[in-house]
Amino acid sequence: MSGTQDYFNAWLKAQQEAFGSVGEMTRKFQQNLSGFGSTGGAMPGFGGAMPGFGGAMPGFGGTMPGFGGAMPGFGGAMPGFGGFQDAYAAWEKSVSDALRGSGAADANFIRETLLKSFSGSNAYMKLYELWLPLFKAIQQKGASPDSFKDLIDPAKFKEMIDRVFGFNPDAAAQLAEQVKTLLESCAHSSQGFMKPWMEASEKGFRTVPQMMEGHPESFMKVFHTMFGAFDSTVGRVFHAPAVGKDREKVELLLRSLDVLSVYLAKNTEFEHTMYVTGLAAFEQLIAAVADKVNKGEEFKDFGEFFNLYITVNEKAYSVLFQTEGYAKMQGALLEAALNVRTHTFKLTELYLYDLPIALRSEMDDLYKTVHELKKKVKGLEKRLVEVRA
Amino acid sequence: MKTPLEIFDVKSFLGEISEASTKFVKGAELFAGIDEIDVGTAPKELVYEEDKLKLYHYKPEGAVTCGVPVLIVYALVNRQYMLDIQPDRSMVRNLLQHGMDVYIVDWGYPTKADMYLGLDDYINGYMDNCVDHIRKSAGVEQVNLMGICQGGTFCGMYAALYPKKVKNLVTLVAPFDFSTNDGLLFAWAKHMNIDALVDAYRVVPGDFMNSGFLRLMPFTLNIRKYVDMLDVIEDREKLLNFLRMEKWIFDSPGQAGECLRQFIKDCYQGNKLVKGEMKIGDRVVNLKNITMPLLNIYASGDHLVPPAATKPLNDLVGSTDKSLYEFKGGHIGVFVGAKSQKELAPAISKWLHDRDKSKPAAKAAKAAKAKAPKAKVGKGRKQ
Repeated sequence: MSGTQDYFNAWLKAQQEAFGSVGEMTRKFQQNLSGFGSTGGAMPGFGGAMPGFGGAMPGFGGTMPGFGGAMPGFGGAMPGFGGFQDAYAAWEKSVSDALRGSGAADANFIRETLLKSFSGSNAYMKLYELWLPLFKAIQQKGASPDSFKDLIDPAKFKEMIDRVFGFNPDAAAQLAEQVKTLLESCAHSSQGFMKPWMEASEKGFRTVPQMMEGHPESFMKVFHTMFGAFDSTVGRVFHAPAVGKDREKVELLLRSLDVLSVYLAKNTEFEHTMYVTGLAAFEQLIAAVADKVNKGEEFKDFGEFFNLYITVNEKAYSVLFQTEGYAKMQGALLEAALNVRTHTFKLTELYLYDLPIALRSEMDDLYKTVHELKKKVKGLEKRLVEVRA
Repeated sequence: MKTPLEIFDVKSFLGEISEASTKFVKGAELFAGIDEIDVGTAPKELVYEEDKLKLYHYKPEGAVTCGVPVLIVYALVNRQYMLDIQPDRSMVRNLLQHGMDVYIVDWGYPTKADMYLGLDDYINGYMDNCVDHIRKSAGVEQVNLMGICQGGTFCGMYAALYPKKVKNLVTLVAPFDFSTNDGLLFAWAKHMNIDALVDAYRVVPGDFMNSGFLRLMPFTLNIRKYVDMLDVIEDREKLLNFLRMEKWIFDSPGQAGECLRQFIKDCYQGNKLVKGEMKIGDRVVNLKNITMPLLNIYASGDHLVPPAATKPLNDLVGSTDKSLYEFKGGHIGVFVGAKSQKELAPAISKWLHDRDKSKPAAKAAKAAKAKAPKAKVGKGRKQ
């Protein structure tokens, strides 16, 4: 505990010294401010008494008399900002030295922490230094009424700002280029992740009209496109090194749901096409019957009507079946259905994996081995017969 | 103006309903009395078997007048007894009656254990073994090959690979040029993901194949056919004929995955036979190697294998003696139609006889019987 006490004593002492330095600096600052305004004349609006800053500050272990007093104007030289910086540096140095010199064995941790804290404070000082030229520039300009006129003039304002910030077209272009490069870099790195989602969202939005029209497969399409985005982004986490059958099951289950959604969408599309064709055929049939009615004719027997029914429908579907579009749609439906079947088998296998039974894939391997062996044996038998002959 | 109902002669319409109901009741009684639907009744003997394949030799009906035996190779998708569906509609019996010595391949029903059977196994394995068996047992150097539908394509492949073993080649409604889209199967197969199909099924079920065939003419094959059945339902023989066809149509073996995969990819999708790029095993099938006499039969009204797929064979082979025969009818009619029995079987028999320069057939057949090995089968079984 004594070490801790020493540390705080040292801390307080350092604080006293630091604030002493601050007080000294403030005094110098005030003096400087008194002589401020050498470039301009009197500025009555800024002058006047500034009471209330003086007075005792016991909590910091000393008095701070320096802030009271008159502040008649901003004329004179302006070393004040630099002085404040020096004050801070002096404070920091005093505290750091005191801590280093305390020799308190138990204070290492606190010291380190504080040192790091000071280092953090340095960052603020650096920031302050960064803005310092601007402050100075503003002071220099601000002291002159003409400067304010300049600020009202857009061209002058720009000129001043450019001077303050050092902006010029080239620098601005360079800065813009740097920003662009940065953004591009960020965009590129995030593109792989975001693009699939953006595309899926876009596709999803395009499907909205179909949803509104009541096409049930449109929901499946949205699910499929979103799953595609998931699969190529977040879903990749599932492709990480195997962590067991449970992970495989989850992934396969998700994938199975996806292929099922694809199948359902294709199936609806297919059924819709068949239905529309059937409807058109039925309309033709009705038209043919109506035509007969209009002519005052009648069907002699059921067979005559049945023939017409079969002929009209067969023709309608025959025309559909002969289109390449139908062949493609049928092929896509079949593939989707088979995909569901394959996934179902895989999923079943995964769930049966722990049971003492031969699985489909294992039997496939066995069949393959038997097939190859039989082929070899048959070949050898044939060769033997040839040799004997 | 008449109402829609008045377009029918109501009296006649009610009479039809009454008549149909009566037929249906009588037909139901007939149905109940039918135990078994007999098909493939021509006497035959099992002479060779390998895995699920069986080779049958038909008992001659009278004197064998053609010295070179005929091996009939049917498609994998349906059963070979179509050639002998019933006694009065049997191409086999017809050929036998015309003095032919007839063998037939029964591919059997592949199971999952056969999923890896490929075209190599079927052509270079099973077919070649059957031909060798016949050559040996009949005491001949060559056989006549008669292939039907996909079996015709197989025969063409075999003849191109083993021309020395084939005396004459007869193809019936067999596809070779798959570039056409005249037939729906040809158009549909081009957009089928065969890998997905085989990977999902291993052995593709016959029902799957049938669903495709039935979709070719959905209203005729799924509705009209059964409504028309009412016309024959009271007649036992006619009903049996109908049921035999039904049995055959739905008696569809599964398809060994690897074989179907290659057939669809190389033929339907790649048209490699015509391009001369088809490989079976490690050998390229060059149709120009077919130099033996060729009789290529196509059906003008074939909706399964359109003439555009069959006819080009004659331009692709190396044969000088080649004939193109048009049968006016459909795909099935070629085997079972009354016209086929009267016209086609005698024509085939004559064409083969014309090219038979061997010894008198009866002598050859006798010699063949004497030499017939009993290996593999052990003893012949009557079927």
